[in-house]
Amino acid sequence: MDYFFHILIVIGIYSIVAMSLNLLAGYTGLISVAHAAFYGIGAYTTALLSLKAGLPFWVNIFAGILASGIIAFLMAWPSLRTFDDFFVITTFAFQIIIFSIMNNWVSFTGGPLGLPGIPRPIILGITISSHLMFLFFVASFVMPIYLMLNQIADSSFGRVLKAIREDEIFAISMGKDVIKYKITVFVIGATIASVGGSLYAYYISFIDPTSFTIIESIFMLSIVIIGGAGKLSGSIAGAALLIFIPEFLRFIDMPNSIAANMRQIFYGLLLVIFMMFRPQGLFGEYSFGESNKKAKQ
Amino acid sequence: MGNTALENQIKRQSNRRMLELLEISKRFDGVFAIKDVSFSISLGSITGLIGPNGAGKTTLFNVITGFLNPENGTVNFQNRPLTGLSPFKIALSGIGRTFQNLRIIKGLSVEENILLALSEGRVIRSIIKAFERRDSKVEEEKVKELLEVVGLSDKRYDLAGDLSYGQQKLLTIACCLALEPRLLLLDEPVAGIAPEMIEKILGIIKELPSKGKSVIMIEHNLDAIMQVCDRVIFMDAGKKICEGTPEEVRNDPRVIEAYID
Amino acid sequence: MVQLLSYHIPNGVVIKCLTAKILMFNQFFLNSIISGSVYSLIAIGFTLIYSTTRFFHFALAAIFTLCPYLTYLFFKTLDSPFYIAVPIALIFSGLLGISIELVVYKPMRQQDATSLVLLLSSFGVYIILQNVISMGFGDDMKTLQPWPVNEGFFVFGARITQIQISSIVISFCFVVVTWCLMKLTQLGKEMRAIASDPNLAIVTGINVDQTILFSFIFGSILAGNSGLLTSLDIGMTPTMGMNALMIGVVAAIIGGIGNIYGAVLGSFLIAFAQNFGVWKIPSQWQDAIAFIILLFFLLFRPYGFFGKKITKVEI
Repeated sequence: MDYFFHILIVIGIYSIVAMSLNLLAGYTGLISVAHAAFYGIGAYTTALLSLKAGLPFWVNIFAGILASGIIAFLMAWPSLRTFDDFFVITTFAFQIIIFSIMNNWVSFTGGPLGLPGIPRPIILGITISSHLMFLFFVASFVMPIYLMLNQIADSSFGRVLKAIREDEIFAISMGKDVIKYKITVFVIGATIASVGGSLYAYYISFIDPTSFTIIESIFMLSIVIIGGAGKLSGSIAGAALLIFIPEFLRFIDMPNSIAANMRQIFYGLLLVIFMMFRPQGLFGEYSFGESNKKAKQ
Repeated sequence: MGNTALENQIKRQSNRRMLELLEISKRFDGVFAIKDVSFSISLGSITGLIGPNGAGKTTLFNVITGFLNPENGTVNFQNRPLTGLSPFKIALSGIGRTFQNLRIIKGLSVEENILLALSEGRVIRSIIKAFERRDSKVEEEKVKELLEVVGLSDKRYDLAGDLSYGQQKLLTIACCLALEPRLLLLDEPVAGIAPEMIEKILGIIKELPSKGKSVIMIEHNLDAIMQVCDRVIFMDAGKKICEGTPEEVRNDPRVIEAYID
Repeated sequence: MVQLLSYHIPNGVVIKCLTAKILMFNQFFLNSIISGSVYSLIAIGFTLIYSTTRFFHFALAAIFTLCPYLTYLFFKTLDSPFYIAVPIALIFSGLLGISIELVVYKPMRQQDATSLVLLLSSFGVYIILQNVISMGFGDDMKTLQPWPVNEGFFVFGARITQIQISSIVISFCFVVVTWCLMKLTQLGKEMRAIASDPNLAIVTGINVDQTILFSFIFGSILAGNSGLLTSLDIGMTPTMGMNALMIGVVAAIIGGIGNIYGAVLGSFLIAFAQNFGVWKIPSQWQDAIAFIILLFFLLFRPYGFFGKKITKVEI
């Protein structure tokens, strides 16, 4: 049973990250492969603070939000100045650089060895120790985040995002400061991803840079696209799919040495198949598959 | 054009310069797309901008609306300089435009497209509004009005992508009007559509001066130009060749020559 | 580069320090030439494929990795002579490249897939292939030593091994071959035509699909070769392709994506920056150096050295 809770917790954490990336990539069309970096910034900030300062968990999580928000802004502001497709590559570069910092700044982040022994959060004197408790803890983040993002997506702000995705020149000609919108949604995406990272740090209680690589970023992007871009609930479903199903492979008898590889192969296969046959994902209302070249003329 | 009191008042003030271009030049890769173009547009006028393909007409629109920065020259709108402002600011300051290759958000409904222009532009404000329980009655009314002006009321909730090409063009005009512009730049508003639709759109354009709006219209359809415009500017190879009343320009030997070639 | 340590030091010591600095410089210089030439191959391979297909063929990293492993398979496990194992591995690389194009990308392109979707599928293919290699050969580093390792030569005080010399020579040859291909053959002209205007290319009767196929063969062979040379020098691991490809991508972008000279120039720029960077910056940051350079270009000159400012948006 505990194992089942574990899966749900992981799905919950990835849902948070995927939803935030969906807002950015799915609704606005801003593809970013730097999301694992912000996830990591949240994780590291929370880990460092809880290890060194012993502050309440919500302060640590908030600190993560602040850190990632500031870094996201510093990153987005110069990169989003023009309407080009080069933004993806810029996020690629940032992701690698931030990963480098996590991996190499040993005195601060512990380098490749990471940060062990992160204490579990304490609410009202009770330590969130069991898996079931942590599941509730995570769920208490997932729900409000879903509702909040949904509210934003359905508002006039969300409408502008969708317009930017399809034809940003039209959006500009309608008097919208598209650059500012993009920066804003990027910062929102980054800060929520960092919440996911903070929860991850608390859950696993040991973090190291290998969880925050470019490969992880692409995994997150895959969840968004397979789940369905432009549909928040799709991100939850996508997370469930990409995390749940490979776990079934555990029940098939396989020599340990290749189990990890087989899971990865499964994931790769899923990615290719979806991209080839159903690019709009499970529930997407926006297909990155069809060439929206007509709109982007 | 009919005679209303408002129209007469506007004609009296017709010396007021709405838009002024002074020596605008724009270069691409060493080639001048437009060179030293100057003209002015007066309040309440409908001006046609004609010329062969590649004459630089759309480029001119792009410069005026801030999507391109000119190498030299200035653009003044209501006596204030526009050059250097970002395009979204220019849109907000009262210049609306449509595009030659019909830009609209096909994935949103007709109503949502118009709301795009109407609704709160400032980013943080619009996020805060997302959580407010405010009724957007005012906006709904405006949408209704605009749809009536262009005759798309029955398509309000349809996806813009499901409309016919002509209807989409009407929608772009509605969106343009939603900005409450003083000046509209229409790029080939009646190209590629059926005659009934052409009449409809030209009818809408003709009404605009009576609402205090000025129009510049790029068109290849010379009949439409003759019907609707009170002034015409002719461009070729990036330069303004001549301007005047539709009759004058039509009979200008340089214009005739350019169209025969 | 030459530092005077202080005024009052006997000449002998100053000269020794100077000499040491010069020797170090020479070594870095030589190392840069070696890495740069190997990087150029994968950078060119990548940029060739990008220029005809307009998307990031990530899976090229798997071909970079697979070629040396195949060589290992034939040479070590199946005991074929090295001079036979290599061409077979290269041919396989080319074939694999084409298969990926035919099975995955082409059908997607025919369905009008966007470059993002192609990128993701490419990534999926990479994951599959990399894990197959992991499963088949294990994750430990393998080495390929067709000739006994020797000390190498000294050129202006800098050490270079035989293999490294061969790397430079072979890379140079391939660059020249590529140049000839692009400039002198019909095929090369067609590739350039597609690169500059795909629609126009179709209209002028160029068989786009076939030309793309060829760019995949050639690009894959280049990448495979790059992997092979790298593995001869420092060994092979299943994940080495990703790192190499990333540098190739950065080089290609800096040089102006789609431009062969640019890819070569970019490769050397990165190689020099990384190697000389080691002087002042701890070596773990080498990767970051490449990407900081990239960032600089993206923010100030996104079309690279030679690329044209591609206005993707026509207003």
